[in-house]
Amino acid sequence: MPLPSKLQEIVDDFASMTREEKLETLIGYAETMPPLPERFKEQRANMEAVPECMTPVFLAAEKDTNGGITYYLDIPPQSPTVRGLASILTTGLNGSTLEEILSVPADFFLPMKLDEAVSQQRLNGFMGVLAHMKKVAVQVGAG
Amino acid sequence: MSYVHPEYLVDTEWVAAHANDPDVRVIESDEDSLLYAIGHIPGAAQVDWFSTLQHPLRRDFLTKEKFEEVASKLGITNDTTVVFYGDKSNWFACYALWLFQYYGHENVRIMNGGRLKWEQENRPLVKDVPTFAETKYKAKKADKSIRAFRDEVLKQSKKKKPLVDVRSPKEYSGELISMPNYPQEGATRGGHIPGAVSIPWAQAVNEADATFKTPEELRALYEGKGINADEEVIAYCRIGERSSLTWFVLKYLLGYPDVKNYDGSWTEWGNLVDAPIEKSV
Repeated sequence: MPLPSKLQEIVDDFASMTREEKLETLIGYAETMPPLPERFKEQRANMEAVPECMTPVFLAAEKDTNGGITYYLDIPPQSPTVRGLASILTTGLNGSTLEEILSVPADFFLPMKLDEAVSQQRLNGFMGVLAHMKKVAVQVGAG
Repeated sequence: MSYVHPEYLVDTEWVAAHANDPDVRVIESDEDSLLYAIGHIPGAAQVDWFSTLQHPLRRDFLTKEKFEEVASKLGITNDTTVVFYGDKSNWFACYALWLFQYYGHENVRIMNGGRLKWEQENRPLVKDVPTFAETKYKAKKADKSIRAFRDEVLKQSKKKKPLVDVRSPKEYSGELISMPNYPQEGATRGGHIPGAVSIPWAQAVNEADATFKTPEELRALYEGKGINADEEVIAYCRIGERSSLTWFVLKYLLGYPDVKNYDGSWTEWGNLVDAPIEKSV
């Protein structure tokens, strides 16, 4: 199955960018991440504490009547890289079906050559967020 | 009681007052390196542990020659007072400071409280990236007295001498190999170096404003766990960055004469064939 078209677009964009453009674009994603809707605030407050050095990533999802899944994020502004990367995923995947989301390969981002711009540690965190998104999609997709 | 070497700390006010001092270079070093681009202290430059301070191929720091190039581009002379600050309670600021000391730059400081305190005080953050007249920086031979390698760590463990594990309690016990979602920084085995005591790095800082705890509190914290000034101490974490904060605290705030950072840390030890491991689950 091909990648959801919006995600494919983002992958292609990054593939043609210089390192500086990638960093600027990541900052753009970090800065334009929409605030968490009020209805998730309670769930956010009950989120389990994360061990010291990790950036807390709050992720929620809802399924619309057409079966499309929409993600909502809350990540502190003190962690722009994690915000930017997670925001790429929600931007690229919002509206996709459970099946489309589950079929995104864990290494889909390799052509983006993000390793020029961010550390391997971040990229693994990025894969971690994708894996987490798949789990949450299964939960709301089945409901 | 005061810190043993208070001259290694400056406060936010001092940094604000020295914004245009040609003998001072303020450098931001973050865990999240995009923070600098979003806004930094006016006049501050950036070093990034990932793209500036590491060797591009080997698991090591940049070479002496490369360090000279980096310092020269930052307009630093051998006499410049270099002040580091950053996010996450100055954790990576201490890492950068440690590396500058490794290559012999003596005149270094940490801005107490780092980015957090600066922001809390509503001090200005700008996006302008300063440029500096390039210098001809001369680094010294790497100072191995502040860096521990695995063989020394093994000896230290066998002799039952002080080892400080600054990771989270679950990493120390062996319950977790790395932080969840950070699998690459893991090791094939979990636990800690035999004889190491667990003193998580964050216990040395005040959570509210990222400043260091008082000398009394710090002394009680380390001496309470049997880490004293009269012996060589080696600190480690997962990849050697959190332990550079502990190194800074022991070396300068408490004045321990002989402290080393084991930068190989758990990602080396937990993968090392034949290395002894203790687990406390």
